[in-house]
This record gives sequence, C-alpha cells and structure tokens, in this order.
Amino acid sequence: MSHAGTPETYADVIGYSEEITATIEKKDFQRWAAAVGDLNRLYFDQDFARANGHPDVVMPPMYLSYAVAGFPLLHELRRDGTRRDRVAYGPLPERVKLPERLMAGGEERWFYAAVHAGDVISSRRTISNIEQKTGRSGPFFLVTWLGEDRNLQGVLVCKSISAMIAR
Amino acid sequence: MTNQRYFEDINAGDALPTVARTVDPVQMFLFSAATHNSHRIHYDRKWAIEVEGHRDIVVQGPLQSALVAQALTDWAGPQGRLVRIAMQNRAAAYPGDELRFVGTVVSKREEEGQALVEIEIREEKASGEIVIPGNATVALPKRNSES
Repeated sequence: MSHAGTPETYADVIGYSEEITATIEKKDFQRWAAAVGDLNRLYFDQDFARANGHPDVVMPPMYLSYAVAGFPLLHELRRDGTRRDRVAYGPLPERVKLPERLMAGGEERWFYAAVHAGDVISSRRTISNIEQKTGRSGPFFLVTWLGEDRNLQGVLVCKSISAMIAR
Repeated sequence: MTNQRYFEDINAGDALPTVARTVDPVQMFLFSAATHNSHRIHYDRKWAIEVEGHRDIVVQGPLQSALVAQALTDWAGPQGRLVRIAMQNRAAAYPGDELRFVGTVVSKREEEGQALVEIEIREEKASGEIVIPGNATVALPKRNSES
C-alpha cells in the first residue's frame, strides 16, 4: 500500500472534528428526493405534511448529511474526482494518506426529531477511528466518523456513525 | 406511497412488501448532481473499470441507503417515523442490476411513549447476493391514539 500513511499519522487525526451550520433548503432536499425516486408527499406537499402534524414539508431523513456537506471547489478535487480534506461522511485531512480507492462502508443513524424546510442545523463530524483490516478482497482501511446534528435550540436531531473503506 | 400502518396490526415475522428497483446511469447522474458527488467511479466507466477494478460504474452507496430507507418509510406511512437505521455496504451494485429491498418485522415494543417496531432489512440482487444487510427501528402510530 504505497499510499498508506503510518499508524502515527492516523492516531494524530483521531478526534479531528469539523462543525458546519446550514439552513435546510426545500428545493435542495426535494431535488435529492426526486433523484432517489422517493416522492413521499411529506417531502413535497405542505398541506399533506401539516395534516400529518408537521409545520412544513419534511426533510427526507437520509438527506441530512448533504445539507451540511457543502460542495467541492475544482482545485480541491483529486484525480479520482473526490474532494481533498473532506468526503461525504466528514473531514479527512489529506495528511492521512490513505489508499485511493474509496467506497461507502456502512452507517448507523438515530433520528430523534423531524427536520423541516427552513430549520438551521449545526453538524459536527469527528473522525473516531482509522484501522487497517483484511476482507475478502484483501487489506483495506476503515475510516469511521461520529456525527451529531443539532437544531438552533441545541436539540440533538440526529446522531450517526459512518464508515468509509479505502483500499 | 402506501397507506398508514398501525402498531396494533404488526406482528413479529410479518414481511414488508418487497420493493424492486433498477438504477440506471441517468438516475446516478441526477443523484450525483443533487449531492455534489464528483467521484469518477460513478460516471467514468473507463476509470471505474481500468483504475478501480469494477465491472462498470458503481451505484452510489448513499443512493442505495436512501432506497433502503424509502422502503421503510413507504411501509410505515406518513405518521410513521424512521427512528434508527443501520446498514453495511457489503458489495458493489451496478447500473442495470435489479435491486430488491426485503424486510421482515423482528419484534415490537412500547418504550418511553413510543410504539416501536424492529425490522431486519436487506438489499439484495436478483441472484440473491446481499449488497446491504441492515436493520432499523420504526415508530408507528397506535389506532387508539388517533385524534
């Protein structure tokens, strides 16, 4: 693994954390839901959402990480099109020097409250672990992030554990 | 979207309706656009095959996660709520693969005022290969709590 860093490099970034605050935009999550093919009326129909106890259209729960992920600038992109210093799951300082083949590894999310259009969410993503493992296709690195998403009142609306494979 | 599901009507062992979805490159393009995902494995076939060793461009993991969650929220109905979901990406999926979302109710319980249902759910290919095994907790309304 010529691209792999040293155990010391990985230990150095455990606990590395970023917080991003964003307003939940209806048009953005509806575009996401349309791309998924999930035309749940709670996400699109304000009257329907209100009739089911919500103040406005509901954000699809799985969209939340994108609301706060931002977007890459062209000069931030690596050869494979991924972003330097950050992936969809959270920050990943480039000094970590992982192998370049990246794939989703898995996730667990706890949703404590619905999020609606116009809500302001502050999301903290923290690198919780980087470890080398061996699977059916050979050795790989598993990077894990802890996520916490809070609304303006500081109430936890979502907690997550996300993992990415680098091989 | 389906009708409302109620806690009283659910029993351990119940099967969720199996949902079949086939993702094509157009949907993948739209999902990447909606998520600012510029990773080449999702649109550059030559890169995906020659550099990363896949047999085609790769369906985005988060798109598959979203489809798993949709199978649950559609089943639960508008007054149901996804409380927890856990998934493991075990294999790659490619455009044209028929992806099946298969769920079974494992148990149900009432806890802190919520009527909760535990579900095992998986995404599998038509061949039976499991792409994503997972499990979830869904909160459902009770009939006697309707206003």
